[in-house]
Amino acid sequence: MTTTGVVKILDGNTFVVSDASGDIDASLTDPTGLFSFDTRYLSKWVLTIDGQRLNALSTDDLNYFEARFFLVPGTGTVYVDSKLSVIRQRAVGDGFHEELTLLNHAGEPVELTVRFDAASDFADLFEVKDALAKKGTYSTVAEQGELVLRYERETFQRATRISSSVAAHVDEHGLTFTVRIEPHGEWQTNLDVVTAVKVATGATQSRTRYARNGGRGRSKMEADLERWLGTAPRVECSWEPLRTTYRRSLVDLAALRFSPPIAGGKSLPAAGLPWFMTMFGRDSIFTSLQALPFKPELAATTIHTLGSWQGTRVDDFRDEDPGRILHELRYGELPAFEERPHSPYFGSVDATPLYVVLLDEYERWTGDTKLVRDFEHEARAALDWIDRYADLMGNGYISYKRRNEESGLENQCWKDSWDSISYRDGRLPGFPRATCELQGYAYDAKVRGARLARLVWKDPALADRLEREAADLKRRFNRDFWVADGEYFALALDTDGNKVDVLSSNIGHLLWSGIVDASKAKALAGHLMGRRLFSGWGVRTLAEGEARYNPIGYHVGTVWPFDCSIIAWGLRRYGFKDEAAVIAAGILDAADFFDGRLPEAFGGYDRSVTRYPVEYPTACSPQAWSTGTPLLLLRTMLGLEPMGDHLVVDPALPRGIGHLELLDIPGRWGRIDAFGRERAEVETRAALRRQLGAPAPPPTRTTRQRA
Amino acid sequence: MTDTRATSDAATMFFEGLAGREREHLLAKARGTVRVELTNGAQSEPWLVTIDRGDVTVSRGSAEADCTLRTSRELFEQIAAGKVNAVAAVLRGAVAIEGNWHLLVLFQRLFPGPSGAAAATGETGVGESSR
Repeated sequence: MTTTGVVKILDGNTFVVSDASGDIDASLTDPTGLFSFDTRYLSKWVLTIDGQRLNALSTDDLNYFEARFFLVPGTGTVYVDSKLSVIRQRAVGDGFHEELTLLNHAGEPVELTVRFDAASDFADLFEVKDALAKKGTYSTVAEQGELVLRYERETFQRATRISSSVAAHVDEHGLTFTVRIEPHGEWQTNLDVVTAVKVATGATQSRTRYARNGGRGRSKMEADLERWLGTAPRVECSWEPLRTTYRRSLVDLAALRFSPPIAGGKSLPAAGLPWFMTMFGRDSIFTSLQALPFKPELAATTIHTLGSWQGTRVDDFRDEDPGRILHELRYGELPAFEERPHSPYFGSVDATPLYVVLLDEYERWTGDTKLVRDFEHEARAALDWIDRYADLMGNGYISYKRRNEESGLENQCWKDSWDSISYRDGRLPGFPRATCELQGYAYDAKVRGARLARLVWKDPALADRLEREAADLKRRFNRDFWVADGEYFALALDTDGNKVDVLSSNIGHLLWSGIVDASKAKALAGHLMGRRLFSGWGVRTLAEGEARYNPIGYHVGTVWPFDCSIIAWGLRRYGFKDEAAVIAAGILDAADFFDGRLPEAFGGYDRSVTRYPVEYPTACSPQAWSTGTPLLLLRTMLGLEPMGDHLVVDPALPRGIGHLELLDIPGRWGRIDAFGRERAEVETRAALRRQLGAPAPPPTRTTRQRA
Repeated sequence: MTDTRATSDAATMFFEGLAGREREHLLAKARGTVRVELTNGAQSEPWLVTIDRGDVTVSRGSAEADCTLRTSRELFEQIAAGKVNAVAAVLRGAVAIEGNWHLLVLFQRLFPGPSGAAAATGETGVGESSR
């Protein structure tokens, strides 16, 4: 971590974002502060000594849940010769705990005034994003050495309580300590900032429920992280950066775990820090899929939690239907007063078929048929939803059109920005829109649902029906979406059944789902590896040459690591092992430029032009499905595929990677090891840095190793 | 499920609609008791819903329960009529919840949507039939 920029620490959906000296001084739209359950509990937390703010010498994020700030008095000077050191060590829990230490290096005693200014705007995360005004009232109580900040709007009440281990003078704007430190002595205090929700206990009574002070505790969180890392498979690889990236991914995935109140302490992947530390249908499912060979328990919790929240009603405000899997759940003030629909909001159309895909893939890896039986009803309801509620145009294809026109999502597929779906000439189609990858997911859900129906639910009639429907869908899809003059599948069908005819990365998802006729797969692989889509790092979301192509357009030209990992999986499914390895090489090279932490997206510039991946500016990092990407790429490189109670290993490694071992892979087989080695010896090139995929290498042949 | 009471308020109708349901899929994994306390001034009207793997029985009266949902009778009637969303009401503190949250998440699926149509139920899947 550098001494500039923001420092983020978190535990579940409680997180602190501060500047490099540990201070928080947020305006409404600044994404800094102490946040919990989508509410900002502290928007000001500024340390001064004798009225002066402090200078950061260094900042360490010791773990994802704690950070340490080394500070000295005085700002703005190059030369620092201080007789005083200040150390802030902060750990997030239910709120945060901060240990402040002052060291006097002088031979004389010092007398200092140490001050924390504190305030909260209790903003909803949506308000921070959209700069909305508050409707409730604030109050502050300073008594008995504690400062309590409150916000109240009708029955919605939130509070922040600040206390210290050393007696402070408390006023409505903060805490002041009068400190004397002996020569070469030190002074210390511990501060606790605790969040609170006021809960109704009767029609007229209520009480304030504070979070457990100190959260899970630092040592417990450390032990938890060690256990998380210790139970994950180990990676051995002669290409050093992969080990670094793998470890970074595991640690970030640990940080992104989120324990919804109903999951009994178990966790699922949240979507990203800081804005998306909540349950998202799509992101939680994709990340659980990516992590299956490593952390299958994430998938179990995702299935359980999303299944429990499955839609049961027709509710236009929430875009809810019976059987639909949620898009996003939020706990803040705006959803509470139905000014936003996220209680939960159901406006995505891919999460529901993907729910069935995850359930099946989970069973294939773990053999946990009990979970499949337990969620039979939810899976059937999801399958029913595809035909009953998602076919808006009555043409046998999933399509979307929001019913909440005020605050619902326009694009309900993963490319959810306003301009992501366009014709070649740049025009945008009307609604409903039937994007192609949705049909692939629906096909896969039916095929996998049939397998589960036959194997676990003992309903061969359902299995037969689903298989018939899947075959019919595949036949129609290959006819209706095929762009003959380009030899690829259209991005979507519009309301008139016309093709939205751009070339996009979505065709890679189609390979993953298996909906592509074998005779068409080669052409798709050619496009995915061709100059218009493949940048050298990965596959662009939209092909160069399309009217809306922009190498730094969110879904119209950038490269998304998550997208590429699914594409690599798809290429493997159709036997394009070496092509999958080329994509793995590009993305893993890119990861190395970001110290192992892949961003959500990076620029679609040609690799030979920029030489390094240009990060797309985004507020969210780490992002769950970017974090899961190296995990899925390990799977595709090694060709891991469950087959009955066995794990098939069929490696196809990028050139330059040497040998690769993945040890202790959990699954229905117990634990198993997988090995891969490139056949050709690595040629050592003189280069700026050792990279796997530069310049675009010819695919190499690899040996097959047995597990 | 016969309406022996002369009342026709939404809260009472909701509970009477639950009583005697068998193999309710939305509660197929649930086992436990939900106490719903409806307050009206100083008065409290307790309902006890017992769920046993989808079989539901309803009784009046107070007893120990795995989870409790407490709110004014007035608000609950709006929830039972589909006019107010229960989850949002919990988030803003207008409905108090205690105990097993997972059971409450499953239970809230039984409330009707804003169209007034009751939550779908049935043997063959959600959405198969609506009451």
